Amino acid sequence: MGLREVLLAVFAFGALAFALAVVSTRNTVYAALEFVAHLLCLAALYCLLDAPLLGVLQVMVYAGAIMVLFLFAVMMLDIQETGRESAFQGPGQVAGALLLAALLFALLVFGADRFPAAALAPAAAPGAPGVGADNVVRVARALFERGALVFEAVGVLLLTAVVAVMVMAKRRLEN
Amino acid sequence: MFGVGFFLALAFALFAVGAFGVLTRRDPLVMFMCIEMMFNSGNLALVALSRYLGLASGHALVFFVVAVAAAEVAVGLGIIIAIFRTEKDVNVDHLSELKG
Repeated sequence: MGLREVLLAVFAFGALAFALAVVSTRNTVYAALEFVAHLLCLAALYCLLDAPLLGVLQVMVYAGAIMVLFLFAVMMLDIQETGRESAFQGPGQVAGALLLAALLFALLVFGADRFPAAALAPAAAPGAPGVGADNVVRVARALFERGALVFEAVGVLLLTAVVAVMVMAKRRLEN
Repeated sequence: MFGVGFFLALAFALFAVGAFGVLTRRDPLVMFMCIEMMFNSGNLALVALSRYLGLASGHALVFFVVAVAAAEVAVGLGIIIAIFRTEKDVNVDHLSELKG
């Protein structure tokens, strides 16, 4: 077992463990910090899976920008007020959700298992360099050649989100 | 051991954990984090399959998913804060404003 396998095992276990910690922690701030750790584990997994660009993007956008937004919201909301009663729904609902989540997992595994293997045959030639070689160039080609229209649409989406948040904030000021 | 199946299984497990969190937690912020977790499990599956198939288009798709998630978080947290400003309470069970 080489170093890569050890790292993969550590970060895969870390991602799952921190995910469970997020779901089970009562304190919202702790949950947010555990979620950051979960995201960093995923970023490390991306780097080990020949996707260094996405690993960096994950750290910058998710663990950086999005989580700062989350912690900012935690700061704006008074957690003391929500922390009094149980952080979870009733026991019946938890049991039902557990059953549903287990069913979902089984369904996904079943579906992936039944997926025709022929459709998943590697597209690249066996000896060709992996997706990690010239990763940035290849992702840029995929983004701006085949996905150029989607890229523009994402830009419009982000602009719409910014305008929507500004409208919500402005209405609050008028009141 | 670390074939594409391992990472798909991990992604499915993370998706199930996220779905469980959305269904059981009362705090909307933690529910949001669980939704992000489900986004991320999809991303992990895409990255693993990209590596297995030797295609970079999966990475481009992950890029789009991250952008959509960022937009969703910005709007969602804005809504949560706006609700908190008027209700002084963010327990999702107590919110019945949109009830018909």
